[in-house]
Amino acid sequence: MSFGAPYLTLPSFKYVKPKTLREVLEFLAEHGEDAKIMAGGVAVIDFLKERLTEADYIVDIKGIEELGGIKYEENKGLTMGSTITLYSLRESRIIREKYSALHEALKTLDPILIHRATIGGNICEAFPWMDTVPPLLVFDAELNIISLKGKRKVKLKDFIKGTAEIDLNPDEILESIFVPEPPVNSKSKYVKVLAKSEFGVVNIACLVSNPVDPSKRIVKLAYGAASPTPTLVPQVEEIFRREAPLNKLIEEATSVVLETVSPMTDIHASEEYRRYLIDVLTRKILFELLTAD
Amino acid sequence: MARNITLIVNGVKREVEIEDNELLLDVLREKLKVKSVKAACWRGECGACTILLNGEPVKSCIVLAAEADGSEITTVEGLIKDGELSPIQRAFIENGALQCGFCTPAFTLFCHYILSTRPDITEEELREELSGIICRCGTYKQIIRAVMQAKKHYKK
Repeated sequence: MSFGAPYLTLPSFKYVKPKTLREVLEFLAEHGEDAKIMAGGVAVIDFLKERLTEADYIVDIKGIEELGGIKYEENKGLTMGSTITLYSLRESRIIREKYSALHEALKTLDPILIHRATIGGNICEAFPWMDTVPPLLVFDAELNIISLKGKRKVKLKDFIKGTAEIDLNPDEILESIFVPEPPVNSKSKYVKVLAKSEFGVVNIACLVSNPVDPSKRIVKLAYGAASPTPTLVPQVEEIFRREAPLNKLIEEATSVVLETVSPMTDIHASEEYRRYLIDVLTRKILFELLTAD
Repeated sequence: MARNITLIVNGVKREVEIEDNELLLDVLREKLKVKSVKAACWRGECGACTILLNGEPVKSCIVLAAEADGSEITTVEGLIKDGELSPIQRAFIENGALQCGFCTPAFTLFCHYILSTRPDITEEELREELSGIICRCGTYKQIIRAVMQAKKHYKK
């Protein structure tokens, strides 16, 4: 992250390391408003350093058994504990074979930082360019959230409300992420364009199933760094259910995408350049996945 | 809040008093005087402060010292066994895999980790894996050559 020169020291806070999930939830029920949750710390420590956030308590949830681990159930899907590291996910055979867009996204990340960074942290940081989010959006991920009051589920697409804004109360934590089994005969892909930092200027995740049969065809597209939040473009799915020549459908889908996204100009790229990339890469990724055998 | 923590640095148990808001990087450099761990960008980008924390590579500028209580820490000094340089250290010297030397402790340690965990790594895979540390002098070519040369020592 680079918003400017960082302070070399951290503001003062109290470091808390609960031993059980119950202890975490009890602590948050009491001090949630004044606490920040930390797992890998990659984002939190940096934000504290940059004085972008402050907290009386830093609650370290790494190592808590119920929040870790990865479990795959045939024909059902994959459950990832929120504190599992991105390195463990990158090395997972199931993710490489079944959720290739997610695997490809993980491969673009700093090979050292991913030993600390977690999937829960990547989602909850909620910046527009977080790499795991567009793939998780095309795989229709659902989040399990827990507090002392109980559990609730929320779709990832509804969870991220704005830049760095998420649907999580101060007494709640993200427990796990569930991604259903991908549709049959599906392929997925991730494309990322880099400028001068490790964050993408444009990130695209695409999933295609049954490319040749319009009645069964599923096409999903999600974008990172193209809007204030990672964006799924659901209208694309309907377009590709119609019977028409592929190039016409791709044309139509691309223009819908360009109407949906709202890229910004920042130090890495201009809005115009981002639009150009989205235009070209959307056609390319669709063509590639729809014509693959 | 001040607290006492125990760190096992390169096999030696060290006790140190720290503040909750202190970074592991600062504790290693300023309190334990392990100067091979370099401080540069302070935000997890350059990788010069890379250490092995319980065997896993981490950038110590974004780790709290308090988190590391009870952990084993390896820095480049820990690669020396019985006064002998490790194969990766020798390979760095033989291939001139450094210019100013600032990133060398981090690169040597991380390359040791890579070869220990993936002794069959290909040159192409290695290029990707090395993207977490920056060498401003641009000696990547020599570093890759050194790793490829040291590879045979890590194969079981």
